[in-house]
Amino acid sequence: MKTKAELTDAELLRSMLSGDEESFALLYQRRHSGIYRFALQMCGSPQVAEDVTHDVFVFLMKSGQVFDPARGSVSSFLFGVARNYVLRRFRSDQATVPLIDDDDETVFDQKLDEPGPLDDLTRLETIEGVRRAVLSLPERYREVVVLCELQELSYGETAEILGCAIGTVRSRLHRARSLLLAKLRPTEEAKPASEASIESARCFA
Amino acid sequence: MNCQKFEGLASELARGQMMDVELRSDAEAHGANCPSCSAQLRDQEMLSHGLRLLGTQMNELQAPAQLEAGLLTAFRQAQVVTQLPMSRNYRRFWFAAVAALLLIVFSVIAFRMRNETKPVQYQAVVPTSVPQDSPVFPKEETPQKREVVARNPKSVRKQRPVISNASMQARAGSNRKKDNNVVANHATNEVATEFMPVGYLSVDALQDGGQIVRVELPRTTLVKFGLPVNMDRYNERVKADVLLGLDGMAHAIRFVQEKRSQ
Repeated sequence: MKTKAELTDAELLRSMLSGDEESFALLYQRRHSGIYRFALQMCGSPQVAEDVTHDVFVFLMKSGQVFDPARGSVSSFLFGVARNYVLRRFRSDQATVPLIDDDDETVFDQKLDEPGPLDDLTRLETIEGVRRAVLSLPERYREVVVLCELQELSYGETAEILGCAIGTVRSRLHRARSLLLAKLRPTEEAKPASEASIESARCFA
Repeated sequence: MNCQKFEGLASELARGQMMDVELRSDAEAHGANCPSCSAQLRDQEMLSHGLRLLGTQMNELQAPAQLEAGLLTAFRQAQVVTQLPMSRNYRRFWFAAVAALLLIVFSVIAFRMRNETKPVQYQAVVPTSVPQDSPVFPKEETPQKREVVARNPKSVRKQRPVISNASMQARAGSNRKKDNNVVANHATNEVATEFMPVGYLSVDALQDGGQIVRVELPRTTLVKFGLPVNMDRYNERVKADVLLGLDGMAHAIRFVQEKRSQ
């Protein structure tokens, strides 16, 4: 007989819905960090990320029966729910989303101040620049970057979460990376974006 | 491979995505020969590196511990809250089921009591008219004489004690179809000969239509129409259908006999 730790997410969810608190705790421990990071990377605010994580798991305990194994994994289901909550936050209270606000660098500053390999100034600047660039992307491009690049999910998993085709994910990611390069180029090369775009003209060789 | 195709592949190359070997080698060869595409690939690789660093750094982040405690408390409360309505729903279901059962039982009892208190009245159903223009259709009696008596009490219509003639006619009219079925069933219990012309009338006169009258004749009449007669039953009478023409004269006759049960 399987122990609780050996059960799949779907089995844990079934057990949780029948009232098993241990299954819920185990499922939370497995999946909460990914959900929290996704929300944090999407909105940039630890408080909002915490709220979203809370809402996702409350939704799971109240409406977990809507999960359909035929449509994807529990992880994808949770990411999808988290995405909906994040987007709802964006719609309801845009003012609390500090996308590129210089005053709000709470979590990242804590991490950046820690001693170690990240003390390299160039590296810190790179990470900070990328973080700002990601947060400044439009939502539809930001979510594919977060899922495919930062969460390192496959195109298929991302398509499941976003409810779109794999080709759509691929094209959005391509577009998102182009936007990121355009945002990062002036700071890296100290050139205006327009000049950079002129330099990257196609040669059609 | 040209720059347009390379641009579409640059991000995939930088991310280390799987792709066709030939396509990858073509793209790498193009990137080596084209300065702008080479720079673009370098940018993409730097971007991938930066994103990887950001992802690695954020991998260490986790939700605060008090969030788990709060959720576990909410889970316990949700279990308590969700169980109460479920038991209430079941109770309501059982109440509804018992009430429905009692309603059915009382209805059956009331129906039976009503049937016992009122005596069943058997009513003859008299049809209003019968088509008279088809000598082939086996009609055995005039409408005035025919009377269908229900044999099964369950199939008998119960009528009120006082019924006007008009309502009787209407009721009989509504039962015409059922009545015809009874006649047909009755007709199948008999065996009849073909209609034979009476006297020297033409056969075409049979097509004019008329009225069929059931009569009883002496069995010797069979001899007059060339039919065999059983001498042991010489004194008995035989049933016959007489086709009366529009002039009131008998035009044809057929002899009828009860079908013997097998």
